[in-house]
Amino acid sequence: MDVSQYLDIFIDETSGHIQSLSDNIMELEKEPDNKDVVNEIFRAAHSLKGMAGTMGFKKMQHLTHDMENVFQEVRNDNVKVNSALIDILFKCLDAIENYLETVKATSNEGDEDNEALIKLLNDYLAGGGGEGGGEAAAPAEAPAEGGESGGEAAASDDSADGPLYKKIPVDPELCEKLKGEKQLYGFTIHISKDCLLKAARAFLVFKAVEDFGQIMAFNPSSGDIEDEKFEFDFSFILSTESELDPIIEAIKTVSEIESVEADKVTPEMYEKKEEEAPAPEAAPAAAAPAPEAAPATPAPAAAPAAPAAPAAKAGAGKTNQPANKPVTSRTIRVDIEKLDALMNQVSELIIAKNSLASQSNGSGEIDSQTLHENIEYLERITTNLHESVMKVRMVPIESVVAKFPRMIRDLDRKLNKPMELVMTGEDTELDRTVVDQLGDPLQHLLRNSADHGIESPEDRRAAGKPEKGTIFLNAFQEGNNVIIEVGDDGGGINTDKVRDKAVERGLVTPEEAENLTQKEIIDFLFMPSFSMAKQITDISGRGVGLDVVKSNIEALGGDVTVKSVMGEGSTFTVRLPLTLAIIQALMVEIRDEKYAIALASIMNIENIPKSEIKYVESKEVIHLRGQVIPLIHLDKLLDFEPKEDTEDTMTVVICKKGDTLGGIIVDNLIGQLEIVIKSLGKLDNNKLISGATILGDGEIAMILDVNAVI
Amino acid sequence: MSDLAMYDVVEKEKKQYIVVKIGGEHYGIDISYIDNIVRLSKITRVPKAPLYYRGVINLRGEVVPVMSLRRRMDLDDDEFTDSSRIIILKLDGGGLMGVIVDEVKEVLSLSEDDIEAPSSTLKSKNSFINGVGKNGDELISIFEISSIIGDNEAS
Repeated sequence: MDVSQYLDIFIDETSGHIQSLSDNIMELEKEPDNKDVVNEIFRAAHSLKGMAGTMGFKKMQHLTHDMENVFQEVRNDNVKVNSALIDILFKCLDAIENYLETVKATSNEGDEDNEALIKLLNDYLAGGGGEGGGEAAAPAEAPAEGGESGGEAAASDDSADGPLYKKIPVDPELCEKLKGEKQLYGFTIHISKDCLLKAARAFLVFKAVEDFGQIMAFNPSSGDIEDEKFEFDFSFILSTESELDPIIEAIKTVSEIESVEADKVTPEMYEKKEEEAPAPEAAPAAAAPAPEAAPATPAPAAAPAAPAAPAAKAGAGKTNQPANKPVTSRTIRVDIEKLDALMNQVSELIIAKNSLASQSNGSGEIDSQTLHENIEYLERITTNLHESVMKVRMVPIESVVAKFPRMIRDLDRKLNKPMELVMTGEDTELDRTVVDQLGDPLQHLLRNSADHGIESPEDRRAAGKPEKGTIFLNAFQEGNNVIIEVGDDGGGINTDKVRDKAVERGLVTPEEAENLTQKEIIDFLFMPSFSMAKQITDISGRGVGLDVVKSNIEALGGDVTVKSVMGEGSTFTVRLPLTLAIIQALMVEIRDEKYAIALASIMNIENIPKSEIKYVESKEVIHLRGQVIPLIHLDKLLDFEPKEDTEDTMTVVICKKGDTLGGIIVDNLIGQLEIVIKSLGKLDNNKLISGATILGDGEIAMILDVNAVI
Repeated sequence: MSDLAMYDVVEKEKKQYIVVKIGGEHYGIDISYIDNIVRLSKITRVPKAPLYYRGVINLRGEVVPVMSLRRRMDLDDDEFTDSSRIIILKLDGGGLMGVIVDEVKEVLSLSEDDIEAPSSTLKSKNSFINGVGKNGDELISIFEISSIIGDNEAS
């Protein structure tokens, strides 16, 4: 079966299962007795195994199978979960992930068979999970011998493969018989893909060759061939005294034969084959240059007994079939509701098209009024469609941050500092392209916190903090930005040390250094190759850190700021703009113009009697629930004529910018709306307006930049 | 010989211009800058934008700034009539921008020979013209698009 078409799905689903395994194993470590978690893990491992098996990735299947065994035992309470087991399981996960990477790159699972890991798993089972844990933690990345010899075995197998006729299963009895024959030829016939009567063609072929000699062996069996139980090729061995060429000619006279591969064979070849049979090498259909077939015939694996495609030539055997195309497709998982919305809009589009078509077919003359209405309708639909597609591109940052708890756990072990990661706002959505590039910078900041931020347990105890350090990652939306805060409750940045280092590096003179503000000092950390680590570890400290983070984030149009308090920890704040984004906004009216205010920056909306306006330094303010809030006359700001109004109350939208509040006076509230932010093109550098949006009726509304107004 | 002939052809190659009317004058806009010509639709004011930007319009779901050429050239303010049009220009950066004209007259092919550089007396400092084309008796001022689009305030 040709499974290459399922490869994308396989890759996608496998990543999903790996992630869920990883999450659940973390969970399991916390609550080793939670049977629900174990069941969940078991299910994921089982699905992984099943999928790998279906795709013919035998090594991956083997590994997952052994993992599943372990989970089975855990489920049956025969094995206890401890951190050593968790370590092994995570290593297995890494190995599976490696397989997946190899599959992505080459459509093949590669040669690594992870014997060492499998052994670890089985040892653990055998030892009932008692000890063995200590050693288990030792690097399992030493399958050097196992892996390599495995690879070579595969290689020699590959070289033996050649055309399919060499893989005809021959039982020893027949083999003896073959030895008695004078001259043997192996044939593989590829029948054209659109052939309807394959069995008939095969019959004609056999009839043609039987004029020359006797067919000794078939693959598939002659019965299966008669019943059409084969794909598009079949092989046989012919005993004859004739030359090869006339036979091939004879075969080619049969129509719908795509190509014929044939060569001399010897019984010994099949003997050898027999020995190797128990180790079938599963390779996905690879277009290999077949000797005689002019076009590279896609060769679906022929029979269940010989599940391999024609492998690369002997020489190429060692280099693991290099020609496979890398799988570069990138997929996205989309909430079904978003797709439904998209579907609805497409059906509306079809309705609109139909109504236009029926009008043009009808009277011949189209009423310009209706035509106009229809076109407007059409326009509206397409705009909505555009929005929906944009929405489909929005993905929660969960996909990048989900791997971090695991990473922190590993660092915990490596650095011998107990710590945990607390994450909030994983469902914050960002454009797919931004999310994709967010992983590295965030990972870097987290590593930084783990390595430099969190102190050693002893220091923490001395400072009166809980021994276990906390690293946090908070994501949320604020106005037109998504904010991601990464920080820790560690020692904070020692600005004195940074300053000394800067002086030492000659970046500032000692005199200048005295006058630097804290912020300026912290900015040194973002300079290229400025490292504070006393020693270089493989976690951080090479000095290629924060400057890369900064440039990566800036490339996405965002910025990074740092807050640090000595002894209490530091927080890196990553701010990313939502350029393509859709935001929730409050629509307000000022005279006859409509404006949008991002809902995220609105605190509340109040109706306030004019009599309550008070003055501070001759500026209008209101005093609301203990807070003094300056008033902003939006109409003045937007160059409207002052309104002659008789009303004695006003509508105030109270907005926040960081910690400051401001009350924006508007004429009318329209309502809440989800809007798509559009650029103003040439007018984009406007101070008060951060963009525009197109409303349902095609009208444009400006988006007020609250930060500039307050 | 053949080289010479080729050279001749290139010399005589004509460019197409859209002839528009603003005030009493005829202006030509190089057709290669033009994306589209649309009827006047609702222009939404953009607060705090330069005065000669009348605002933005919704062009097939895109927000496109619209400039008043009359305001840009210090002429009387626009009068919107049935024949008023917005000419959508393609910008170098890939964006679009509209300019309002009183009327679109015709498409005209002019060769280099038909266009004269504006004389120094005609060419004031805030000129957006880079030549005067002759079409029979009619004179057509050719717009220098880059100076219209450019943000530098006419001074």
